[in-house]
Amino acid sequence: MKGRLLLAACLAVLAVGQAKAAVAQADFPQGDPRRGAYLARMSGCIACHTDAKGGGKPLAGGAPIKTGFGDFLPPNVTPHRDDGIGAWTIADFARALRQGESPDGEPYYPAFPYDSYTGFSDQDVADLWAAFRTVPPVAGGPAGHDLDFPWSIRAGLSVWRALYFEPKRFAADPAKSPQWNRGAFIVEVAAHCGACHTPRTMLGGPDEDAPLAGGLIDVGKRVPAITPASLRAEGWDKGSLALALKTGLTPSGDAFGGAMAEVVREGTRWLSEDDRRAVATHLLGE
Amino acid sequence: MKKLVFGLAAIAAVALTPILAGAHGGASGVVKERMDLMKVMGDDMKRISDMLHGKAAYDVAEVRKAALSIAARGGEDITRLFPQGTDHPPSEALPTIWRQPDRFAALAGDLVTHAKALAEAAGNERAVAAMGSAEAMMGMGAMMGGAAPAEEPATMAPETAFMRLTDTCAACHETFRAEKKSGH
Repeated sequence: MKGRLLLAACLAVLAVGQAKAAVAQADFPQGDPRRGAYLARMSGCIACHTDAKGGGKPLAGGAPIKTGFGDFLPPNVTPHRDDGIGAWTIADFARALRQGESPDGEPYYPAFPYDSYTGFSDQDVADLWAAFRTVPPVAGGPAGHDLDFPWSIRAGLSVWRALYFEPKRFAADPAKSPQWNRGAFIVEVAAHCGACHTPRTMLGGPDEDAPLAGGLIDVGKRVPAITPASLRAEGWDKGSLALALKTGLTPSGDAFGGAMAEVVREGTRWLSEDDRRAVATHLLGE
Repeated sequence: MKKLVFGLAAIAAVALTPILAGAHGGASGVVKERMDLMKVMGDDMKRISDMLHGKAAYDVAEVRKAALSIAARGGEDITRLFPQGTDHPPSEALPTIWRQPDRFAALAGDLVTHAKALAEAAGNERAVAAMGSAEAMMGMGAMMGGAAPAEEPATMAPETAFMRLTDTCAACHETFRAEKKSGH
């Protein structure tokens, strides 16, 4: 008798869990894994969460990102149940991307650019989720970040979030062309160019008064401005800029290298010509 | 008096010549040599890129010539121009070169390999989805970070070979060259 009650209780718990997951999935449209894979490339998921240089498996954890706050270690986001996000639901995934919170409600460090990803639509989230599920589960990965005091105190993030984070979906500007708006989505949401190219305040938030005006991503590593005026001053036009995002070459044939080499190799190179031209259109303010 | 003026003028001329004649902010010696070498390679890359991307008519012989010009300048022709201690301004070389000499030499060698491969591939069938999404060429697995399917050199599209070459340039500049304030 007791055994049966226990069994029934367990089944009930499982059923509720399944129901929760089913409800959560029902809140989102059907995801397209191919579109999601393309979006994952655009959004830098592969670049950050894969240690390509070290021969790491896809999404199994990335090489350390060295900053003035210490080292951020991008975690394993393969479908592994223990070491990855295999135990997550799509609602957990959406919450991480758009609210910057773990399934337990802990805030993420904005080295994970959820302040940009918050712009993703439900379809974007569903597509990404579908694509992430196609990657083989891998064990292991970094256990946590290696940050300097006091940045290592996660609770301190509530200050940053209060000052700098506002969950908000992307909205097209009706006064601008569809191409400009596509570029805006890529630059401001998915590819989060401002994460590097917008200067930061002392608390590590983006300087809203100087979008894409350049900055320092680490000691001694200057990042150029990519405002319309700066780009034009350097001789860029729509064609050369769109091409550079594919080849990594400037109009003079120089390979720009620096931190941008990885962005091109693991990210923007994979974009269609239309999308690269959209980015160029948006950045040049056309 | 005339001798003194003449003498001073002569000294000034000799002193100013390296600055006036040197490109790249007054570089001289190996620093200038390697900057000039890189400039030649950059010009070759531009010529190939223009032909591959519709800015100039595609000419197999021209692509081959430019690729071989690059190949002739890689390997030891690069490494010998970076003796220890030459990372003073106006050089953009980073001290990392002498901390990771094996990697530096390996990339210089890759340059020759990939430039030669491009020369060989110059006459091959052009990539169909040349300017489209890389996914069309490589498939879903590669898009999500898996290995791209292996390419046979004999049938590799010139676009693919070119990408491997640009990746080599970028890989070296990523680690071993200083970033400029205004970007390159």
